[in-house]
Amino acid sequence: MSDIAHPATSAARVHAAGPRAARLLPYLLSLPALLVCIGILVPFGTAAWYSLQRYNLAMPFMRGFVGFDTYLDFLGDPDFWNTVEVSAIYTAATVILELLLGLAIALLLRERSPLNNAISVALLLPLMTAPAIAALMWKLMTNPGFGVLSWLVSRFGLADFKWASDPHTAMLTVVLVDIWVYTPFIMILLLAGLRSLPTQPFEAARLDGVPARFVFFRITLPMLMPYIVTATLFRLLDSIQQFDIVYAMTQGGPGDSLMVFQVRAYLEFFQYTNVGRSAALMMILWALTYALSNVFVKQWLRLRERTHGAY
Amino acid sequence: MARIDGTSAFLARGLRTLALAVIVLFFLFPILWIVLMSFQTNEQILRIPPSLLFDPTIVNYRALISGKLVTAAGQLDLPFMRNLGNSVLLSSVSVLLSLVLGVPAAYAFARFRFRLGENIAFTLLSFRFAPPLLVLLPLSLYFQDLGLANTYTGLVWVYQLICLPLILWIVRGYFEDASPDIEYAYRVDGHSWWRAFTRIAIPLAGPGIAAAGLLAFIFAWNNFVFALILASADKQPVTVGALAFVTASGIQYGQIAAAIVLSILPTLALALYAQRWLVEGLSLGAVKG
Amino acid sequence: MSADPGLAVRALSVTFGRNHLLRGIDFDVAEGETLVLFGPSGVGKTVLLRAIAGLEPAARGEVRVAGRDVSMRGPEARGIGMAFQNFALYPHMSARDNIASPLRARGVSRAEIERRVGAVADLLRIGHVLGHAPKELSNGQKQRTALARALVGEPRVLLLDDPLRNVDAKLRYEMRLEFPRLLRTAGAATLYVTQDYREAMALGDRVAILLDGRIAQTAPPETVYEHPDSVAVARLFGDPPINLLPCRPTESTGGVQVAAAGLRLTLPAAQHAIGRDCLLGLRPEAIAVHAAALPGAAPAQLNATTPLHERLVVLLRAGGEEVVASVLGEVPVPGSAVWISADPAQATLFDAGSGARIAAPAPVREAA
Repeated sequence: MSDIAHPATSAARVHAAGPRAARLLPYLLSLPALLVCIGILVPFGTAAWYSLQRYNLAMPFMRGFVGFDTYLDFLGDPDFWNTVEVSAIYTAATVILELLLGLAIALLLRERSPLNNAISVALLLPLMTAPAIAALMWKLMTNPGFGVLSWLVSRFGLADFKWASDPHTAMLTVVLVDIWVYTPFIMILLLAGLRSLPTQPFEAARLDGVPARFVFFRITLPMLMPYIVTATLFRLLDSIQQFDIVYAMTQGGPGDSLMVFQVRAYLEFFQYTNVGRSAALMMILWALTYALSNVFVKQWLRLRERTHGAY
Repeated sequence: MARIDGTSAFLARGLRTLALAVIVLFFLFPILWIVLMSFQTNEQILRIPPSLLFDPTIVNYRALISGKLVTAAGQLDLPFMRNLGNSVLLSSVSVLLSLVLGVPAAYAFARFRFRLGENIAFTLLSFRFAPPLLVLLPLSLYFQDLGLANTYTGLVWVYQLICLPLILWIVRGYFEDASPDIEYAYRVDGHSWWRAFTRIAIPLAGPGIAAAGLLAFIFAWNNFVFALILASADKQPVTVGALAFVTASGIQYGQIAAAIVLSILPTLALALYAQRWLVEGLSLGAVKG
Repeated sequence: MSADPGLAVRALSVTFGRNHLLRGIDFDVAEGETLVLFGPSGVGKTVLLRAIAGLEPAARGEVRVAGRDVSMRGPEARGIGMAFQNFALYPHMSARDNIASPLRARGVSRAEIERRVGAVADLLRIGHVLGHAPKELSNGQKQRTALARALVGEPRVLLLDDPLRNVDAKLRYEMRLEFPRLLRTAGAATLYVTQDYREAMALGDRVAILLDGRIAQTAPPETVYEHPDSVAVARLFGDPPINLLPCRPTESTGGVQVAAAGLRLTLPAAQHAIGRDCLLGLRPEAIAVHAAALPGAAPAQLNATTPLHERLVVLLRAGGEEVVASVLGEVPVPGSAVWISADPAQATLFDAGSGARIAAPAPVREAA
């Protein structure tokens, strides 16, 4: 395995590695990556440690080790459960809608033609827009005074539609922004997947006169599954941690209606200076994403094996 | 496809065209509308119903670029150009540093099998999806102690958390795809390891390095939460600056629109200019990562 | 006595995890000599070349180039020229720059580079494509460019990794004729890897057969062909493959008598073969096919024929065994009854259990 680092035995000399410096080379080269790992692991460890403490920056004298008390307190805390619920709704809504929409667009653009390629390039633009800026754009568009969307819905009789300022429609608004920004990501992945599929199964199906619906559900979809799983994994893990769009749009409001995990953790830290609670929230979110990513990576590998055969 | 008669084929084509038109409208209209808005005065913006026909004005851009806005209430300072400068500085320096540090490491991961490499790769993979605040909140406390709070150095350092993993993953894939024989041949010719790396490996992985650098630049530019937590006004990039701007001058809609246009223009222009590399980088980063 | 060999390899081993790919390889290649390294695919021929070039980190052992131990040196400091199986041309450089690379590495002057690249390009007849990028070259030109790059630095040791593998049949034939002249000009100790025994026959001063991580036999190609040391070597070296017919030798005047496939041969083999289970090795060329009965010939059924190069490969059934013959000239149509005979001088006897050749007693020296 790691023969490069193997010391020379007395009986035979290492020769190909040449001077000792050559054997240290991979370690020297990966030093920066190692430093980044440390840069991640040290604050991670610190956060884990904070989450076990009663630690409020405003009350340093109260600081002390409390074990898992902060976590246990969450169980009876309606604010915490609100965060779980809001995050779950946000994640489910964005991932499902983006997946369906992204798949539909990819199927529409499947043929390679100048027009289709131009459209797929144009759809890159929302994805390249900073999510925080995208939220500001939609905030302007939904402005009750001059927003083009407010004007549009008023023409359909919804004169009093308040978008993100109304707790009932705030979720809808941020989900819309998320869809606008991230659907192209799914579209790009699935389009790359669709265009890389072997053509023979489709030609054979056409020769046999297999109905289009059957082709889609029995050939296209299964073969595309590894790409769908990958895209879902990426979006799921990003969505559950969404911060930029929600914070730039409403900072978690109105009320607690958009208090997703990271926004709550941010406010706990900077508004209530409650480091311990904030860290505990982040640890819970991390455990969640870690578990999700493990499940999905396994699923992805299995699907890939099935689709690509034995090798 | 099943056999379909002429009418339904025509109908299908029409529906497909309509669907594409709606999609293009949905994804491009917001950008178009903001661009139009940025060329309007506040009075034009506040007109109901909104109109596509208006006398374009560059007064918003002039105000942003000069940094001074004269209103009835008096003169207002607009620090937005400074935000733009910060974004350019932070993103380019971060990506350059990431390339200098990340390309050799990606090469080591691709060419040598060693245990430490697998561990680093695994750690980076598992933290690729970790919530950024998990790391940022303790860092904000450390930064106070280290004197790195609100410094470009500190920000560029933290931005490595965005850029380096991206570059490592994508560039590693490109190095792995290139045959090592070409480098070996160059070594046997009598060139040192370093020359084989700089004259052969890097040029051959050039498209991958460009794609990764481009993506890293865009992600760094678009980042919001890092600077929100670790920088104050004079070091903030456009993403945070635009939000602060909205809060500060809540009713100067024309300037806000112009600021948004200036904020997204560089990444959109880059994306259009290098779209093929970008798509490749995105797909590769996702599928291989 | 003699000078140091151009290339000396001692106790070279390569181990990947638990897989001992190469175990204790020893051989010398003299300056100006071509040693062909022959073996089935996956046996580690390329790994052995890479180990000699200093490109295999898992290698242990000693490599000496012109008497100097280079084991601890990197590939750039070993004084070796190498041509890779997939050419490994630098895609972003012209053919000229590809060839000039070893000279540039040594800081040779511009004029001298120009002269030597021109000379080697003339030798390989690629002077007219020096300005082309590798992707604009035909496979043959790529192959010649790769060879030119290996030769231009006038290395003491030349490693050629199956250089004709990826070129078409016609070019392979031409190059096989051209190589001896090229290698003589280079004057290096050449290690030439191939899987094609004809190439080995045509180019090798000696052949080393690599099998199961070890060198099974090193000898001039004719010797390997005519007197393979083992059944495995005999099977590997030669196409169509050797006939291996089970037999049990009996005592006879002047050697042993062997009966197989209806043939009766008297061989000068060692007496200890008598009564043991053996395999009679007969090259297809050693078997003659006759349309009519001859004294000593065995009856056979001619099943099929297929042309191979200038000869005709004949599939026969004789005495319950499949026999392959390779003949010059006409044979009867398939389905005919024929007679076969074999030249005992070209027969080899192997022990059926160990697979080792049963050596003939040393030929008695003619009395002076």
